[in-house]
Parts: sequence; structure tokens; C-alpha cells
Amino acid sequence: MNLSWQGHEDVGAPFGALWAFINDPDSVANCVPDLIEAVVQDARHFEATVKVGVGPVKGKLKLKIELEPQADGKRMNLKISGGGLGSVVDLMAGADIKDNGDSTTSLDWSGTATMRGAIASVAGRVIDAQALRVITTTFANVRERCNSSSG
Amino acid sequence: MSTIEAPPNGRHSMGKSMKRKEDARFVAGKGRYIDDIVLPNMLYMAIVHSAYPHARIVKIDKDAALATPGVLAVITADDLAGVGLAWIPTFHGYDKQMVLAVGKVLYQYQEVAAVIATSRAAAADGVELVEVEYEQLEPVVDPFVAKTDKTLVREDRENKTNHIYHWEVGKREETTAAIQGSDVKINERVWFQRCHPAPLEPCGCVADMNPATGTLTLYMTSQAPHAHRTVVSLVTGIPEDKIHVISPDIGGGFGNKVPVYAGYVCAAVASIVTGHPVKWIETRTENLTTTGFARDYHMDVEIGATKEGKVTGLKVTTVADHGAFDAAADPTKYPAGMFGICTGSYDFPIAFTELDAYFTNKAPGGVAYRCSFRVTEASYAIERGMDMLALAVGIDPAELRLKNFVRKEQFPYASPLGFVYDSGDYHTTFNKALEKIGYKELRKEQAEKRERGELMGIGISTFTEVVGAGPSKHFDIMGIKMFDSAEIRIHPTGSGIVRTGTKSQGQGHETTWAQIVAEELGLDPQTLLVEEGDTDTAPYGLGTYASRSTPVAGAALAMAARRVREKARNIAAHVMEAPLDDVEWVDYKFQVKGVPEKTVTMKEIAFAAYTNPGPNEPGLEATYYYDPPNLTFPYGAYIAVVDVDKETGETKVRRFLAIDDCGTVINPMIVEGQIHGGLTEGFAIAFMQEIAYDEQGNNLQPNFTEYLVPTSLESPHWETDSTCNPSPHHPIGAKGVGESPNVGSPAAFVNAVMDALKPLGIKSIDMPLTRDKVWRAIQEAKKA
Repeated sequence: MNLSWQGHEDVGAPFGALWAFINDPDSVANCVPDLIEAVVQDARHFEATVKVGVGPVKGKLKLKIELEPQADGKRMNLKISGGGLGSVVDLMAGADIKDNGDSTTSLDWSGTATMRGAIASVAGRVIDAQALRVITTTFANVRERCNSSSG
Repeated sequence: MSTIEAPPNGRHSMGKSMKRKEDARFVAGKGRYIDDIVLPNMLYMAIVHSAYPHARIVKIDKDAALATPGVLAVITADDLAGVGLAWIPTFHGYDKQMVLAVGKVLYQYQEVAAVIATSRAAAADGVELVEVEYEQLEPVVDPFVAKTDKTLVREDRENKTNHIYHWEVGKREETTAAIQGSDVKINERVWFQRCHPAPLEPCGCVADMNPATGTLTLYMTSQAPHAHRTVVSLVTGIPEDKIHVISPDIGGGFGNKVPVYAGYVCAAVASIVTGHPVKWIETRTENLTTTGFARDYHMDVEIGATKEGKVTGLKVTTVADHGAFDAAADPTKYPAGMFGICTGSYDFPIAFTELDAYFTNKAPGGVAYRCSFRVTEASYAIERGMDMLALAVGIDPAELRLKNFVRKEQFPYASPLGFVYDSGDYHTTFNKALEKIGYKELRKEQAEKRERGELMGIGISTFTEVVGAGPSKHFDIMGIKMFDSAEIRIHPTGSGIVRTGTKSQGQGHETTWAQIVAEELGLDPQTLLVEEGDTDTAPYGLGTYASRSTPVAGAALAMAARRVREKARNIAAHVMEAPLDDVEWVDYKFQVKGVPEKTVTMKEIAFAAYTNPGPNEPGLEATYYYDPPNLTFPYGAYIAVVDVDKETGETKVRRFLAIDDCGTVINPMIVEGQIHGGLTEGFAIAFMQEIAYDEQGNNLQPNFTEYLVPTSLESPHWETDSTCNPSPHHPIGAKGVGESPNVGSPAAFVNAVMDALKPLGIKSIDMPLTRDKVWRAIQEAKKA
């Protein structure tokens, strides 16, 4: 099952603050909703165990997440792969970050995912909306935490 | 009250709606199924499955699982290879299949490892912690893509192709010429979708190796316990006398419990290694995603006919999707089963059929789901084809069928594809159906409704089955001839025990087998205990599937009973002090010829057999191995009446009439129950069920939330009736019935819906006819 999403956040923090935030695995991990545990391995990698409840599928997914800041300093990619519940998930997400020049920043994000196993089959009808909720919430959390830390 | 009543015949026990003896324990919740078996020091097994449909296994890390409290072992293909069990032969022996994934996984949910633990929960926890690293490969899920060999499913095979085999029967050139030269021709593709037998009890086993005796006892959900014992012996090298297979009560099989699955093998290995009994019980998802599926035939149906509608030739070309292994449950010499029955009830002067099977990245199978081998697919093809032909010729589908039926006087009828139909009277049976349902009135009502823009449909299916595999000259499984057997032992007080090589999974053998023996011997069927499923006590037989029990084991029972009766006649001669030639069997008693008052009952002879046998060998028992001279050919005429809501696509089955002819009826109530069950399954297949895969190889129906099983709430009311044309070669004239309704009904439902949609120009929709599909077809038709 292939899924794709995109969205936009206006962050009330300067570019530098946002860039620093999303380059910090600890900060990013704590923005993931329904997080049970996050183990930071190095400056670019962390493992997250998240609670999943999609339709009749309920349990934990163990995800490996890699932060991939792009050389131009304007884009951050996230590579997420993992599994659990007899399922595997491979997700590529990315965010283009634009300095608005008024101490605010725009964040245009998009992502595509491939899901296999019980999550794809059992929860196929509702997974799209659920996954969108998780990603939207993650970026919304990024916005809120950046806003509050700069406010 | 049953509507399937046998004709009055003054019979002793057969033809009567005796209540099922086995139901006393079932309705009291006292059935004994696999999961009820608990042995001392028993361990539990759970299986790790692949989420990928096609991937190379890079690494299996057992460490975390083995560190889980209660987990004792994790078995992988490497471990099985050490004991020569990484691969086992498939059903007919032409292919081999992985027990646990060897090197790569070939379908989603394939078994990768087995976790053995002290509790079911610990085994499940262990499964979650087995880490398998995969390298993804491109899956091939469409057999028409598989044909290109762009992606190879089976690298282990010598032939580097996804093509498994080609099979054909009939006269290709002559058939093609006959169709080409016909006034009217149809050529339509019909697909019988992949579906699953979905027995309510999934598969399971308890394997118990006794280290002291070296005996492996396998309690298993087996439709064919003896065949499984032989296979286990052949693949493990354990002598057959050291393997004891016990198949206790089974909660439905429908063909699903014929193959050997990974769980059985792994549990047996685990028990041998640990010295403990090991239990494995499938989950619903495991049953639906890994065990034998059914159907998945893409069939191109070509029929030629005169302009009056007389058929001139039939050609069916099939692409079969076999999944990752060629594990179809077919007799050795019949790789496409009995698909040659695709000429159906019709007198085709010439016919040809061919089939090519392909590997795909889907679960393996191809079991005879409540049908004789591949007969449902064949029946669906011809019955859909006949409706399409009726449309092309421009005559009523009932009239077309009446024009083309094999006539009564043509029996025994040699079909152009090699079968010899034993008996039948298709015209009488169909005319009874037309009259009973009020066909003319329904067509009149339909015309009126069409005037008002309403969508009403009438669908017909007049199928012929071929069952009772089978005659040993043609039928075997891995070389074992498909006979069956019966053993009867009558006790001194006139009760007795009856054993066969078959295994009931709900068919009611404990009742019907007793009725056959009671009929032959004039005994009380209530006092005849029927025992099946224990290889240490039952005579060798090939089991229960493909409607073979009554045609084969039922015949063996009658013949064994006749052997008992002949011995009893000798004892009767001694008891009545009469010459043997003067002792005859009259009205279920022995009588001295011409002296009607001098009689002795079988019960009295039973006592004499143990107390006063005279010059005869004491005791009263017999065994018979029955090798049928031919197959049997039950048939039926089914008519469905539906209303389709053109706004929602919802189909309501308003009426469904099934007239079945299964020859001699043993128990009308059980026959009617069998028909109700089979019709309900046919209804589910037609409207609800499909094991579908997305383009990435995800199985989209892995549980009953997605793979729907109708309850009485969704099921239509079934109207049933019968005609009776006994099989001339079967000792009691019986043909078998359990699978006819599943074979015959899907086409009736689909033909009815297509008839309803005819005013919109819609000719074909693939099953299942969900409201979504029907609604979309209606919308597209409106646009066109």
C-alpha cells in the first residue's frame, strides 16, 4: 500500500531556531504522537517505539529514524523504517524550510510511505487518515514547541 | 420439515430423516476438538510470518526471542534442513514446498520461524521479538504478468520460469473449426476469484513424541488421517507403525484440512527434539493467509451454436494462479483436477480445454473447496457461458438449456472430454424447477418491472458434478490409489462398531454410516457406533474431501455389510437347521424359503455368532476395500430471483430454489442441511468473498472483518427439492451431495444479477458482486 501526504506549517520562530530544533533527534522524537520510548543513537539517528491503534490493529511499532539535513540548509529529509504487528513501514518525509524575513519560518512538508502486512490489509481503509493524523500532529508539535521556545 | 424426501420404499433405515447422533455432544458443548487436547508438560508453538510478499532473508536474529521468559527454542529453515525437512513434497508430488522460508520469502505471511515456549502467551511474545532482516524483491501478483517471467518467483527450480505446467484434453483443431464455422459464437472471459474455505475451526495439531516408545502421536485437524500418516512417514523416515494420527472432532474442513502445513511439521520436529508434546493452533489470520486457497482460475469460454441455439462446440482456455508453490490438491494424473467436466449438462458434439498454471507471490493452494477437484470452476465457466450464449442467440436461457441437455436415453453418456456420466434426467429435473419457481410468471413480472425501470433478474444454473474419486486405474495421490474402506464388527447383542477410512468434518457420518449398515443388516442404527479418524483402529482410506465419502466409503460400507450378511446367512442356516440354499434375506430377516414363519433376526444371529456358530467361524465382522468402477455424477437445477437497487447497487436475493439429484438419499434431513450450508457458501462467494491482493502483494482479506462469512441474517431463504436417479454402479445408488450447492449456486446468483442488469447493457461483472462493484457498473453503463 502506497500513501502520500503533504502540508504546511507557519512557525513563529526564526529560521535558525527551527533548523536547530529539527536537527536535534531528541526534540524531533518528542514531537511524534503516541511515543512510548525514544532512544537517540547519534546526532542523526534515533529509534522510536510508538503506540499504534488503527481499526482492529493495536500494538507497538518500532521505528528507525534517520535525519538527513540537506547541504543547502533549506531542507530536512526523514527516513523512517520499521515494523511490528506483522507489518513493515517504509516512510520518506521531507520539509522545505523558508525564512520569511520577519522572524517567522514556513515549513512545507510532504511524505510517501509503503506499508505491508496487517496494517496495510486490516487497517487499509482507515490507514490513510490515521497516518495523515500522525504526520500532521508531528509537524504541528514541531511548530508549537518552536513557537513556545522562541516566545 | 425436510423437503428432500426419499421416495417411499419401505426401507428399514435409509431414506429417513434420523436426527444426527453426533449432535448430542455438539449441542451440549462436549465436542472434542484439537484445542481441547491438553497433555502433561505440553509446550506451545507460534509462528513468525513475513510481512513482505517477496524478499530475500538477510538475517534472522533469535537472541531477543530466546531471552524472553518461557521461550525455549526458535526454529528456522536452517534447523529443519539439519533433519532433512526444510522442504516437503506438495500434494500430488510434482513440486516441493518450503516448510519455513528458505533463503527468501515468496508470499506475504509466509512462515519464517517457529517459536516454542512453555505457554501460548510466551510463544506469542517470542514471535514479536524474532528480528528478520529482509532485502525486498519485486513481487509478481498477477498471473498474466507472471507469464512474462520478468520476475522469477521460484529461483530454486531448474526451469527458470513462472510457468508450472500445461494441461489439455479434447480435440483442439476440430473444436476450433466447429466453433469458427458456427452461426453464433461467444468468447468471454470469466474469472472465478481466489477464495478460501475458511472453516470456523482453523488448523492445528498437538504433536507428541514418546521418547520411551519412539511413537509420534499427531492429533491434527486432518480430513485424510491415513494419507497424512503415510506422508509424515515418507518425509521424516519414521516407520509408519510408529506414527499414530488421530483426527478428533473437526469444525469444518471444506478442503482446507487436506494439505500438510508448516505448523504440523514444525510441531512434530519440536516434539521430537524437546521430548514434550507441542501444540500449534492457527489464528484466523494465519488460516486465511497461509493455508490452501481455492479457485483463482481465469477462463476464456468459447461456445459455438446454430442460430436456433443448438451448441456445436466448446473451448475453455484457462490461466491458473497457483501462488508460490504448485500445491493444488489434485489427484496425481489430474493436475487441473476434473476441469474436463466443463461441458456440464450439455450435449456438445466436440470440446477442447487447456490450462496453463503459473507461480505468483501469493499463498499456495488450489484446494477442492467444497467441490470435487476444480469442478466448481468448470461449472461456473459453462453456466456463465450458456447464459452469454442465450443472449447472443436471442433466446431465453431456460429454452437454450432445454435444447441442449444430454437426454435421459443417452446415459451412460460419454462426454467429449472423457467422462462417462452414470445417470440423469436433466429435462425432468429442470422442468420441475421451472414449474416450482413459477418461471413463466416470473418472466412476466420481470417484463412489467422493466417497463417501470426496475431491475429484476432470474438466474439459472443446471450443473453436473463429477465426484467420488476414484477408480484406481485413474486416481491416486502420490501413488496411493483412491479407494476407501470400511470395517464392521457386530457385537453379540446386535450392536456394533463401524469404522471407515474417511473423516467427517460436519457431514454427519456417525449417523449416515450407521443408517447404511443398519439398512443392509436390519439392525438399529442407534446401536451402531461409527468411529473415524484414528489410524491405529480405522482401515486405510484416503479421507473425506471432493464429495468422495458416500460414493466410495459409503459403497465400502454397503459391501462390508453384505459380507457380514453372507456370513450371518451361514450361521442362520445352522440355527434354523436349513440348507444354506434355502435361507434367504426377506424383509430384513433371514427366512427359510417357503416357510415365512421360520425366521431369525440379525440380532439373534449376532448372538449365535458368539454362542452357537456351529461349523462356521465364530464372530461377525467384515472389512471391504472399495475401488469404484466409475465416478458418480450428481446434478441439479438451481434458479435465483434477485432485485437490484439501481441507486445503491444492492442485490436482494428474493428467492432461491435448488432441485438436487444425488441419487439415493441416505438421510433427507442431512442432505437438506448439506444443501443449505453449500448454498450459503455459494452465496458468500458470489456476493462477498475474495482473497484479494494489492499490486504490492498485500493480502487484503486476512480476517473475518474483511473476508465476510454470512450469518442467517444475510442469507436468503433456501427452497429445496429433489429428483432421484440412482447411480447404476454404486451399491446403494448414492452419488454424494455435500458439495453440489457450492458448485452450482455461484453461477445462478451471477446469472440472476446479470439478467437484472441486462436492460443497461451490462454483460459481465467479476465475483464477488458487491454493491460497490454493481453500483459502479451501473454508473458506467449510464455514462455509456
